Amino acid sequence: MLFQVESLVSGYGKIDVVRSLSLHVDEGEHVGLFGPNGHGKTTLLRTVSGLIPAKAGKISFRGEDISNLDPRVIVERGLIHVPQGNQLFPQMTVQENLTLGAYVSRSDSHKASNFEKVFALFPRLEERRSQRARTLSGGERQMLSIGVGLMGMPELLLLDEPSVGLAPLIKEELARAIAEIAATGVSMIVVDQDVELLLGICDRLYLIEKGAVSLETADVSQVDQAEILEMYFGKVTG
Amino acid sequence: MTWMDEGFKIRHLVWALGIVIFLAIPHLVTDKLLMHLAILGMLYAIVASNWDLTLGYAGVFNFAHLAFFGIGAYTSGILAVKAGVSPWLGIPAGGVTAALASILVSIPAIRLRGIYVALLTFACSQLVLLLLLSQPLITGGQQGLTGVPQLQIGDFRFRESRFAHFYLVGFLLLCSTIFLRRLVTSDFGLSLIALRDFEEYAVARGIPLARQRLLAFLLSSIFPGLAGGVYAHFLIVASPDIFGFSLTTLLLSMVLVGGVATIYGPVIVGVVMTYVSELMASSAWMSEVFGISRGPVRFMFVAVLIVLTMRFFPEGVWGLIKRFSARARGTSNEQQSQSGS
Amino acid sequence: MTLEALVAIIAGGLVSGSLYALMASGLSLVWGTVRMFNFAHGALVMVGAYSAWYVSNRGGIAKALQPIGKSIVANSEEAGALGGLLLPLGEWILSIKGGFGLVLGVPFAILCCGLVGYIMYVLLVKPFVGKPGADLIVIITTIAGASFMQNGVQVIFGPRYKQLDRILKGPPLQILETAIGLQEVLIIILTPLTLFLLHLFLKHSKLGLAIRAVAQNDDFAHLVGINVSQIYPLTFVVSSILAGLCGVMLGGLFFILPTMGAQELLFAFVVVVFGGLGSLPGTIVGAYVIGFIRESSAYIIDLYWAPVVLFATLIIVLIFRPRGLMGGEDS
Repeated sequence: MLFQVESLVSGYGKIDVVRSLSLHVDEGEHVGLFGPNGHGKTTLLRTVSGLIPAKAGKISFRGEDISNLDPRVIVERGLIHVPQGNQLFPQMTVQENLTLGAYVSRSDSHKASNFEKVFALFPRLEERRSQRARTLSGGERQMLSIGVGLMGMPELLLLDEPSVGLAPLIKEELARAIAEIAATGVSMIVVDQDVELLLGICDRLYLIEKGAVSLETADVSQVDQAEILEMYFGKVTG
Repeated sequence: MTWMDEGFKIRHLVWALGIVIFLAIPHLVTDKLLMHLAILGMLYAIVASNWDLTLGYAGVFNFAHLAFFGIGAYTSGILAVKAGVSPWLGIPAGGVTAALASILVSIPAIRLRGIYVALLTFACSQLVLLLLLSQPLITGGQQGLTGVPQLQIGDFRFRESRFAHFYLVGFLLLCSTIFLRRLVTSDFGLSLIALRDFEEYAVARGIPLARQRLLAFLLSSIFPGLAGGVYAHFLIVASPDIFGFSLTTLLLSMVLVGGVATIYGPVIVGVVMTYVSELMASSAWMSEVFGISRGPVRFMFVAVLIVLTMRFFPEGVWGLIKRFSARARGTSNEQQSQSGS
Repeated sequence: MTLEALVAIIAGGLVSGSLYALMASGLSLVWGTVRMFNFAHGALVMVGAYSAWYVSNRGGIAKALQPIGKSIVANSEEAGALGGLLLPLGEWILSIKGGFGLVLGVPFAILCCGLVGYIMYVLLVKPFVGKPGADLIVIITTIAGASFMQNGVQVIFGPRYKQLDRILKGPPLQILETAIGLQEVLIIILTPLTLFLLHLFLKHSKLGLAIRAVAQNDDFAHLVGINVSQIYPLTFVVSSILAGLCGVMLGGLFFILPTMGAQELLFAFVVVVFGGLGSLPGTIVGAYVIGFIRESSAYIIDLYWAPVVLFATLIIVLIFRPRGLMGGEDS
C-alpha cells in the first residue's frame, strides 16, 4: 500500500472538520473523493501535506508515518498537493512559477526534462512562459497549478478541485490532461464535485460526508455510472 | 451582593490611605534627588497612563503621543518667555494646543489601519519637531528653550519649596487617573474596547468608529499637554529631547510593563520606572560594575525590559497583580475583577 | 534657476535618492515578506558605519592590537625557534597602526550587519510571528532594539564623532562649474549597481526566488517545499546588509555618531509610503523622487523647510491614498 490515512482528526482551532477519516491508495492507483462542500475534503488534503496539524490518527506514505511533518519534508518525499483555486505566485512569470515547483532537491536536477514534459502536456503554458501568472485565464491558471505540481516529480499527486469554475470546453481539455498524467503511472487523489470527471480518471471513489468516508465504491469499471450518481445525489437530497 | 459593598468600602479605604501617605511623603523624605524624581515620575506617569487610552483601549499605535507632551511644554514655555504670559495661563493653554494638535493628527489617522497609523503619527511627531527646530529664534532650536520662568504664586516660589511641585503634580496625576478610569469604565470606554476587539461587529451595531477614535486621541492629549506645561516650568527648560527615541522608549516601557489597558499599571510603573532608570543613571555601583558611563546603560536596560515583557508578561505588572489577587480571593470575586478591567 | 544650480540639485538628488533607495528597499523587502515593519532599520545604518570604521580606521581594532603587537615583538627573542615566526607577525601588527582600510572594513561591516540582522530577527521578531497583533508588537520590540543598539554603541565607542575614510581621494569633479565630491560620485554610481545586484539575486537565484515566493503567497510557498521559516531571517539579513552599506556610504559623507540613521529612517518611511510598501520597483522610484523633491525644496525654499515639505507631502499622500501612492499591489 502506497498511502494510508487512519482515523484522522483535524480542523481549525477547536472545530474539527475531519472526524475520524480513513482511506488508502495503492501503488499506481487513482482515487477520487467527492461529496458536499465544507465536509472536510480540502481540510484532509491540507492536513496530509502538513499545512495544518493532525490532532489524532495517522497518515503514512510508503509505510512511514508522515503525520505532522514539515510541508517541505513531505514534498521532498514526493507527495505533492496542488491546492484549490488560484494558488500561484501571481506576480511571477509562468516560467518562474514552474521553476519554484522544482524547488526541492529531488526534482531540482531534473528541471529541464520536467519543463519539457509540462510544456508537452500544456502547450499553452509554453506560449505564455514569460507572462505573469495573474494575467492568465482561469483555465490556464489551473494548468499552471498542475504544472507546478508536476515539476516536483510527484509519486502521489493530490489534486484539489481541478475543474471548479471552468467552462465545459476547458474542463474537457483539463480532464484529458489529468488522464494523461494518470496514464504515466503517477498515483493520484483527485477531489472534485464533478463525479463524471472523476469516473473518467479514477479507479475507486470515496464519498466524504461530515468529515468521514460515508461510502466507498469498488472498482468503478464494475459499477454503473448512473448508479453512483444516484447514490450520491440521492443521499444529499434525501 | 455583600461582596460589592465590601469591595466598595475597601476601595475607598485604599484611596484614603493612599492620599494620606501621599500628603505625608514630602514631610518624611528629605532627599532632594528623590523628591525631584518623584515629581518627574508622576509627570511621566500622567503621559504614560494617557497613552494607555489610545494604545491599550483603542488599540491604535499613536507615535505622536509624546508630541502632545512636547507641545504643552513649548506652548507654555514660549508664552512665558516670549510674551510674558503667566504660567498659570500658559499651562492650560498648553492643554488646549495639545488638544488641537491631537485633532489635527487624528483626522488623517482614523482613516488608516495598523502600520499606516504608526507611520502617519510618527511623521506627524517628527514634523512638529522639525517645525520647532526650524524656528530657533522662537524655540531655541537644538539647544531648547531656556530661561522658562518657574512657577510662583505672589512671592511664593515653587522651586524653593519641598511641597509645592510635589502636591501640584500629585493633584494633576490624581485628576488624570480619576478622569481616565471613569472614561474607560464608561460606555465610551466599552465602545473603544468593542471597536478594538470586534471592529466589524461593533460598527454594524452602530458604534461610530471615526468619532470614537477621534475622541480617544483628543481625550488622551489634554492631560499630557497640561503635564508638559508643568514640566517646562519645573525644569525651567523645554528641550527637543522630548521627541527623541529614548524618551519614547522609556514611556512606552511604562505603558507595557505596567500593563496595557489598565490605567493603574502605567501610573504605578511610570513612577517606579523613573526612579529605577534615573537611579541607574546616577548610582555609583553601576559604573563600578560596568566600568562605563552610566547614562546609556539605563536605556539599554529599559529596552531589554520591554522585549522581555512583550515576550513573557504581555499583560504587564498590573495584570500579574490582578491575577494573583483574584486567585488569593478565590472565585467569588471573579466578577469584580472583570468589572475592573 | 541657473544651470549650476540645476546640476547641484540633480547631483544632490541622486545622492540622497541613492541613500534612501538602499534604506527603503530593505524596509520594503522585509515588509513584503515577513509583514513586519522594522523600526531598528536606522540603527543598522549606524552599525554598518561603526563596524566599517572599527576595522578600517586608526583608533579602531588597529589601536587595540598595538599592545599585543608590542608584546609579541618584545617576547619573540625568548620564544626560540618560534620567535622567527612571531617577530614578523608582531612587526606586521605594529605596521598597521592606521587601520586595515576599507578593503577589509566594508566586508566586515557587511558581516556585522548580516549577523545583527539575524540576531534581531531571532530575538525581536520570531517569537511574535503569527500571533495576533504581531505587527504592532514588532514595532515596539524593534524600537526597543534600536534604542538598545544606539545606546550600546555609545557605551562601546563613546559619544565622540568618528569619520570614515573616503573611498576615493582627490579633487572634486567639476561639472559646469559645480563641484561634486568624489564620494558623492561614487555613491551615485555604486547604488544602482548594488540595487541591480539585489535585482539579480531576487530574480535569478534560487533563494531570491524563494523570498519573492513567500512574499506573494506563503501558503503555496509551503506546498512547493520552501522552508518558509528560513526565508524570514534571510530577508532580515539581506535588508540589514543593505542598511549597512548605506551606513558605509553615509560614514564617508558625514560624521559617524550613535544617533545616525534616524534621519535616514524617517526619509525611508516617506519613501516606502510614497512608493507603496512591499513593492520594490515602486520603492526605488519613490526614493529618487523623494531625493529630488528634498534637494530642490532645500534649494528653492530653505534647508530647514525641506523635511517639513516632505512630511507634509507624506501626510497628504496618506490621507488620499491610505496604502501609499503606488501601493495596493505587492510584488
